[in-house]
Amino acid sequence: MSPQSPQLWFSIPPRAISWREWDGEFVVRDERSGSTHHLGPLAGRVLQVLLQASGGVSVPDIVSRLGDQPAPADEPEWRAAIDAVLSEFQRLGLVGAERQ
Amino acid sequence: MMVGDLPYKELARRLAGAGLRLRTGPVVSRIRSRLPAVVHGVALHYANHTIEDEDGFADFRVGVVVPPSLRRWVKPQVLFEFDGALPFLPLPAPQAFAMLEWGLNWCVSNHCHQYLIVHSAAVEKSGRALLLPGPPGSGKSTLCAGLISRGWRLLSDELALLDLASGSVVPLTRPVSLKNASIDAIRRFAPEALLGPPVHDTVKGSVAHMKPPTESAHRANETARPRWIALPRFERGAAARLERLSKAQAFMQLADNAFNYDVHGRRGFELLADVVTRSDCFAFRYGSLEDAVPVFDAIARQP
Repeated sequence: MSPQSPQLWFSIPPRAISWREWDGEFVVRDERSGSTHHLGPLAGRVLQVLLQASGGVSVPDIVSRLGDQPAPADEPEWRAAIDAVLSEFQRLGLVGAERQ
Repeated sequence: MMVGDLPYKELARRLAGAGLRLRTGPVVSRIRSRLPAVVHGVALHYANHTIEDEDGFADFRVGVVVPPSLRRWVKPQVLFEFDGALPFLPLPAPQAFAMLEWGLNWCVSNHCHQYLIVHSAAVEKSGRALLLPGPPGSGKSTLCAGLISRGWRLLSDELALLDLASGSVVPLTRPVSLKNASIDAIRRFAPEALLGPPVHDTVKGSVAHMKPPTESAHRANETARPRWIALPRFERGAAARLERLSKAQAFMQLADNAFNYDVHGRRGFELLADVVTRSDCFAFRYGSLEDAVPVFDAIARQP
């Protein structure tokens, strides 16, 4: 494992999550903590990607799986937004991360 | 038998003795008190409520009593008894009936976990329920009182009981608690409404209770499916304004205002999500009942 290797993100087990989506907004209940969270469209879709993945997922892979490939000029901003979502998820205990 | 069928003296005798077994929706409370304010309040506000057999089951055994001390004579106080315990500090004697009402709310919100309980007013028209969730001071009781004065059926002023299986609102038809400026607002808007005497200097300011409409009391066994959710906010002088609220925001508001959402875990989540899914959700700002009530009459006319 190297500090430069990409970070892989994984969600808590899907069975530990209840969620609903309405018009692109999500509410998510973490059955382990009992906490319920309101997620905007990007956060909700990122969580869906992680829940559907069979293993850890890198940020570039998340971008790819979201299917909204940004223009090259917008890519840093896009990744920063996803990084922020993942950091918030980590703070809430919804995801974990490991180095490849 | 209804409370109103009992002669006043007999009502006072039962309340002073073994207690009056009063049914409010699905809840039966055995109420004891010798205090005239309580007897008067029960006689006025619960006249159309059912009295159950004296020897039957009661969910809660409550009383409003005078503590045995010298305070009986100097600035007298009253206590709320619950199954022999005293869960609250005493209050001034003039607040005796309000204390009974607050105590009964506490009994339900802390013990009736067979329901998901939301801090919300709930009213019904044409079989469809409107939920008005919100914290104290949001204007939900005032709006509720205004709506039931114009033909909506009262399901609950304070505690919306959601049936865990169906998601329907189970009526808990009890007096509407009006505070401060709302008391005069209802007197102006609905002069025919029956209000008890206001009590002043409570923790909530001045409080007066409004008697539930007779039909609402008589139909206390008819549930209603939620169809609309509106978060009320009273603002002095504001024009009535109904704005769409996202369902996710409405969900979070219901969960935040639920007393026992956490008790029900995943089931509570799914129930609230189903209620939100089939409801139109709004934020509602209003400054007068004259403007506010027609807004909801209009949405109730829609299919």
